[in-house]
Amino acid sequence: MTAAAYRRFRLGPVSLRFHARRAALCIALTLLLIALAFAALVTGSGDAGLADALAFLTRPAETGHSIVGDIRAPRIAMALACGAMLGLSGAALQTLTRNGLADPGLLGVREGASLAVITLMLSSPSAPLLLRPLAGMAGGLIVALIAMVIARSLSRLRFILVGIGLSWFLSAVISMILVTADIDSVQAAMVWMAGSLSGTQPGMLPPAFACLFVGSSLLVLTMRSAEVSLLGETAAIGLGMRVVRFRMAAIAASVLMTAAAASCAGSLGFVGLLAPHLTRFLVGGGQAALLAGSAILGAGLVLLADTIGRTLFAPVQIPAGIVLSVLGVVLLCMLLWQRRNQI
Amino acid sequence: MSAGTLAAARQSGWGWLLPAIGLTLLLSALHLSTGARPTPLPVLFDALTAFDPANFDQRILLSLRLPRLCAALLSGAAIGVAGLLLQSLLRNPLAEPHILGLNAGASLAVVIATTLPAALQPVGLARPLLAALGGALVFSAVFALSSAGRLGLTMAKLTFCGIALSALASALVSAILILDQETLEAVRFWLVGDLAGASWREVNAALAPAALATSATLMIAPRLDAMALGDASATGLGVSVRTTRLIGLGAAALLSGAAVSMVGPIGFVGLIVPGLAFRLAGGRHLPALALSAIGGATLLIAADLMARSLIASHEIATGIMTALIGAPVFLAIVARRVK
Repeated sequence: MTAAAYRRFRLGPVSLRFHARRAALCIALTLLLIALAFAALVTGSGDAGLADALAFLTRPAETGHSIVGDIRAPRIAMALACGAMLGLSGAALQTLTRNGLADPGLLGVREGASLAVITLMLSSPSAPLLLRPLAGMAGGLIVALIAMVIARSLSRLRFILVGIGLSWFLSAVISMILVTADIDSVQAAMVWMAGSLSGTQPGMLPPAFACLFVGSSLLVLTMRSAEVSLLGETAAIGLGMRVVRFRMAAIAASVLMTAAAASCAGSLGFVGLLAPHLTRFLVGGGQAALLAGSAILGAGLVLLADTIGRTLFAPVQIPAGIVLSVLGVVLLCMLLWQRRNQI
Repeated sequence: MSAGTLAAARQSGWGWLLPAIGLTLLLSALHLSTGARPTPLPVLFDALTAFDPANFDQRILLSLRLPRLCAALLSGAAIGVAGLLLQSLLRNPLAEPHILGLNAGASLAVVIATTLPAALQPVGLARPLLAALGGALVFSAVFALSSAGRLGLTMAKLTFCGIALSALASALVSAILILDQETLEAVRFWLVGDLAGASWREVNAALAPAALATSATLMIAPRLDAMALGDASATGLGVSVRTTRLIGLGAAALLSGAAVSMVGPIGFVGLIVPGLAFRLAGGRHLPALALSAIGGATLLIAADLMARSLIASHEIATGIMTALIGAPVFLAIVARRVK
């Protein structure tokens, strides 16, 4: 990495330093993502094709109700938002724990969020949809805190194993609640639990994007601290960084986004693991490139998994979560192989 | 038995056997008599000595509750022994059939076989053997992946590889089940570890593999004591480490395959019982194996009892119950033993 590869961008008081090749790569990936989203918009089991999609995109007000506008577009938007959130929180957690195996799905945060949301759904079915992400966040945050207390350390493998143990326990509790609850309310919970984007409601889109905005701004604001924290706790403190404050911000952002994704789309595993590693492989570079790449690639992964899941065996839909875990485990095994001399 | 001989028995590791058997018998009696229609124990005695086909209570006992109890006893014992074998052979307190991918592999094999046309369905002895084979395949992959590298087989690597490959196997199972409605109907309850579906047919089929694996285990039990000293010392004492490990792991795969074919993938029994049994047996493998078998059976019966009676009118799958008890044990071991 040479200094010559960086360019400077100035606009009045704002000045930005960026890496020309990586910035170009990120833009190319974004264009690819837009193309993928358009492809997803025109394919599917319903008989809506290119013409309907173009009509929806050019004159959304006139088309009225259509498969593209009412079913596919919200679903694609939700896939993009959830994927970006999961990719970002995976990148943040990997930086925070300095462990490439960290994934929001492995830390029990997702199960904590699910438990909170299910409890809310069963105890007061009439509660507004907006409360669900909030309940999910509270649940996820509590589980993350418990995992930290039990593991007593963030950067070791123990933290991840504790998270796995917690997620086993919580899923047993969830199953128990589902068995004992009233069958009518369980039906709704089951649909939500399946981790499929097919149940996307347009009303859930604004909170999802709001969480994405809040979480990503937190991460972008702490980007430079994140870079320093990779040197290790002692070095970071020595360089004058407020380690505790940075950790709180990073944990809050990743729990917020994981819980929001879990409450909107159920369980989508391994995105947080896959996206940052793909970014390191394709783009490389520091935190800025990692965050941007993880968001784009995470969104792309979820969209791709959802599109594969709903078109491959159409009209039967495979939840995106299942497609993702098949992809994710292969990557996880490769990572373990790479680290075979370290853990 | 005087106090002196009891203390001597404790010292040799066999002392806890009698109390454990007593507890198992007590729980078994309780298991047989509780249910939606409580039946007093004398009915069982009558059913065994003078069976009356017209008697409703006797028929419930013989055709529903007794096979369920036998399946629980047999599979609990099998999981307990398999857990102890894995923990001793891999020197890893987290080694357990469920965590190491044996259960997920066995479920995947059985689910794939269930999708086949009726003529090719595994019946009788083929089912436990197929489950054992699937478990062994996934476990071999876990073992190979985690033995790679300079540090060899570490606790963390083994656990993580097991979890990763289990996740892959269960994702494949879910995909198959979503695509194939009939298979879903056939294995839905079995897959969460529900003992309600246990029948004599499955228990009978699993008996032979379990007996074979048990005799293999008894054969290598004395060698396990030597292996606890380390591979080099064991070799010095004349134990062929590789053969022993191969026999032991094969037996563990057979035992967990037999258990899975009866009651489905039930986790964590093999995590809780063997550590305790090993300590109670004073670090000797032969009594520890006996205690693990009895302890596993007891724990599974207790979990099944709780699953049936904890919340009236709802039956929770036994596998959920064992996960509720077992996950905290996993957490405790991780917090204490993993760096």
